[in-house]
Amino acid sequence: MTDSINSPKNSTRRNAILLGGAALAGALLTSTAQAAVTDTDILNFALNLEYLEAQFYTYATTGAGLPSSSTSSGGGAAGGTVTIKANAKVPFSTPFLQQFAMEVATDEQNHVAFLRTALGASAVAQPNIDLMNSFNALAQAAGLGASFDPFASETNFLIGAFIFEDVGVTAYQGAATLLSSKTYLDKAVGIHGVEAYHAASIRTRIYQAGTTAQSISQAVAATRAKLDGTSNDDIGVSTSQSGVATIVDNDANGMTYARSTTQVLSIVYGGGAAGTGGAFYPNAMNGNIK
Amino acid sequence: MDKNPITVLGNKVSRRKFLAGAAAGAGGTAALAIAGCGSGKISQPSGNPPPPLPTGITDDDIFNFALNLEYLEAEYYLRATTGVGLSASDTGSGAGTVTGGAAVPFKTPAIQAFAAEIAADELAHVRFLRKVLSSKAVAEPTIDLMNSFNAAAQAAGISGGTFNPFADENSFLLGAFVFEDVGVTAYHGAAGLLSVTADLAAAAGIYATEAYHAGGIRTLIAQLGDPYVTIANQIETLRATAGGGNETALAANAIVAADSNSICFDRTTDQVLHIVYLNATAGVVSKGGFFPNGLNGKITASAS
Repeated sequence: MTDSINSPKNSTRRNAILLGGAALAGALLTSTAQAAVTDTDILNFALNLEYLEAQFYTYATTGAGLPSSSTSSGGGAAGGTVTIKANAKVPFSTPFLQQFAMEVATDEQNHVAFLRTALGASAVAQPNIDLMNSFNALAQAAGLGASFDPFASETNFLIGAFIFEDVGVTAYQGAATLLSSKTYLDKAVGIHGVEAYHAASIRTRIYQAGTTAQSISQAVAATRAKLDGTSNDDIGVSTSQSGVATIVDNDANGMTYARSTTQVLSIVYGGGAAGTGGAFYPNAMNGNIK
Repeated sequence: MDKNPITVLGNKVSRRKFLAGAAAGAGGTAALAIAGCGSGKISQPSGNPPPPLPTGITDDDIFNFALNLEYLEAEYYLRATTGVGLSASDTGSGAGTVTGGAAVPFKTPAIQAFAAEIAADELAHVRFLRKVLSSKAVAEPTIDLMNSFNAAAQAAGISGGTFNPFADENSFLLGAFVFEDVGVTAYHGAAGLLSVTADLAAAAGIYATEAYHAGGIRTLIAQLGDPYVTIANQIETLRATAGGGNETALAANAIVAADSNSICFDRTTDQVLHIVYLNATAGVVSKGGFFPNGLNGKITASAS
């Protein structure tokens, strides 16, 4: 529970507003720089992220992954592999949480299906995904020990889910302004909202799980912010000294953060180079944005 | 798959059918309808384009529409957490009056801390929109936080026919529930109407914050179980009736309100107006419910 993690939202409102302005300017520059990116490229970028989320939640709730028919490319090329421990089904003991986990799994499967349908023959195959070494590397980067198994317990599952959801929110927010089709924009914003619902529910449960889980979320948030190069656009779950919670991951204007595709890649690659990949995507994503 | 569809007029309506119903209900006369919802697919975006904006509706008009909603939310949460509403410097010259609202006797620190967070967010939204709109910002309209909730309770068939969301923390969560999912659908609908990229970025950021609020509120109510979940779903049915469907009944396995593609619903400004005016009757409605004198700005009356 360090000040640096909370400062963007709770401590230095004036500074945070200035930072918000800088971030907006950055977003505009980013959109200019990526003007050549097509809607298909952006939707495929989103599809790569949805493959990752869908595999995580599907394994966590069922012990098995997506069927091969859901991971092949629009042209029929086979999807990549998933590196994961044996028997990854989480030993849920709280039905209330297990039901939500299954809801999120269904949502992410629906997002995969929706994007694949929208992209048609242009849909990329699932890239190779790592749900084992990636978490260990992230745990080390966040100072949480040598390894982390998000499938070991309910609380670990919440932390694992936490790692993804806020990133999904920021990724869709960044992507929204890059889309040229109004219909795609409407759908992308709609998925953006669902990821925010997920994130809020997971963060609420981490809040209720107590200070240990909260502290881990703060370390993860700080690591994400460091990986994306800002060090100030991510807030873990906590309560400030003035009694205000941080269930929402947003800035002093009450707005969620936007990340450029480059920033998102840096996070999901664990700092690995663009085009090379690492962490959750050991061989990078598929598509033009990777 | 459809989960927990809301029952409207005695019929179980799926998420997908809701979308179709919403499109039919709009009847082509909705002032600011967004197309693309009904098909559930975006494989042919050019074949299902959003209708053109009515002439004369600008980003400022849409932001002012949003500002009215933010005034309402800010008054609700500020009064619930502090007993005091927006200050005069945040409501503009000629602001209306606010009826009702009082500090909630919170017992659970986690709920109180989340309530304080939402209050800060909604205040920030009011200030941000007022700052962006500058001299074009509309003043706060007259807001009712007392008779409105009672009328909603009666319309929703909630036992007793009265509802005071400030009575205790669980009632507060239900009051918050009335607003949050509506905010999500309203901003989602507005996102596609904005023409300036920076405005879209701002709206998307506020929208996702509302979705975080909704996700947190729905989680907390689902944990409470009945009678709160049942009441929440009576409220949802009321919103669905007035707002073109676009609801997912709350349950432990339905925290997210979304369609069968797991994409958040969006509402037209007409549908939002019918909800906040607490008037499901088709046709022109220009005031009532939470806004007894109507909204301020250019988007104040439903076209259908």
